[in-house]
Amino acid sequence: MSRNLLRPPGALPEKEFIATCIRCGKCTQTCPYGSIRMASLLDGIAVMGTPVIQARKTPCYLCMKCPPVCPSGALTRGLREKEKVRMGLAEVSRKTCLAWQDTLCRSCYDDCPFIGEAIIMNNDLRPEVDEKKCVGCGICENICPLDEPAITIKPGSKT
Amino acid sequence: MNLARLRKGTQVLTIVLVLLVPLLNKKGITVVMGSLYSFAIGPLWITDPLIGFQTVLTTMTADRTLLLSMVLPVVLALVLGRVFCGWACPQNTLSEFVDFAATKFGIERPWGKGTTATMRYSVLVVILILTLLLKVPLASLLSAPGIISVQTAKLIYEGTVGLELGLIALIVLFELFLVRRGWCNYICPVGSFLGIFRFTRTLKVVFSEEGDHVCGKCLACADACNLGLNPMEAGIYPQCHNCGACISACEKMKADKKPLVFKF
Repeated sequence: MSRNLLRPPGALPEKEFIATCIRCGKCTQTCPYGSIRMASLLDGIAVMGTPVIQARKTPCYLCMKCPPVCPSGALTRGLREKEKVRMGLAEVSRKTCLAWQDTLCRSCYDDCPFIGEAIIMNNDLRPEVDEKKCVGCGICENICPLDEPAITIKPGSKT
Repeated sequence: MNLARLRKGTQVLTIVLVLLVPLLNKKGITVVMGSLYSFAIGPLWITDPLIGFQTVLTTMTADRTLLLSMVLPVVLALVLGRVFCGWACPQNTLSEFVDFAATKFGIERPWGKGTTATMRYSVLVVILILTLLLKVPLASLLSAPGIISVQTAKLIYEGTVGLELGLIALIVLFELFLVRRGWCNYICPVGSFLGIFRFTRTLKVVFSEEGDHVCGKCLACADACNLGLNPMEAGIYPQCHNCGACISACEKMKADKKPLVFKF
């Protein structure tokens, strides 16, 4: 079966999403950043052709253009507010994160679209994720300066 | 207006749009957007009726926007028959080319045999039942026009194509070496589903020798048929997709005396 994939904003929970998405490609075409790609057979035959976001390559910039164009309702069409998006949740690997190794770095904090809310710098100047505020856009995963990003998105829609 | 030339025009136009729409989308012009599964012309949304119905089966809900977007193609089928297949579908255009090439190179392929309506509707029913059981949009994976248009967009956007295109390759090989026009004639679920929407007044090819309409029995019409049908016989529907090649080919007679006509 399929691995956990990061879906565009407003996506139904994975099982329903796979059943509802008709693989028409409209969300891919409407994305101005080229963030949305179509899953290949390597991702699993059941998800082939569905839209996925590879945050490390190009994250979602939360322009909110894709949910309204979905013809099948696999993306919740009415979703307009980016703070209500729940594509997934960022996780900081404290073992590899530079800031957690006492090197000054706040790339993820600085680039988070909900600056000071979804990612906060704690008293030791180390990033922590607020699960209530993080929308899972993946900008932090994209910007992390390490070869293997220390902050990654755990996909999972809760919209 | 020359029927054959008009049809070539709409076939070429479809292919041009399949290429042009994603190119424009990539430039940020998204007035027309989507694929032959579902596309939008401004506020007007159009979805392949089979694809929409499949989603009703997988989700067990009836999304109003989705159902509304199926109305126009259903009305088109009710009025003009399966003209999407004959006049627009890129797979049909490709299949016609494959048939033309195979004939030119003398590759022997029989026309399929048996009652095509039974065959193609059985395939459709099996696909729909599997869609319902597996809760996976199987029809999307088997829609040749959808795959061709989406994969063209994928090529333009990502520089690669997906393995979905393997189906198109299989269809080409199948039609090139095994059964003439096998996919369109006996299998394609998109065409079968469109074929459901017809009634007594749907546009059809009618063979009639009443009045001045004289037939010379030259069989030019049957030779011209892209699907191997004989328009002089009854029962060419639901297989016939109103391409009009038979009517164009019926040249022996003066235009107003042709025994073959399109009729509602």
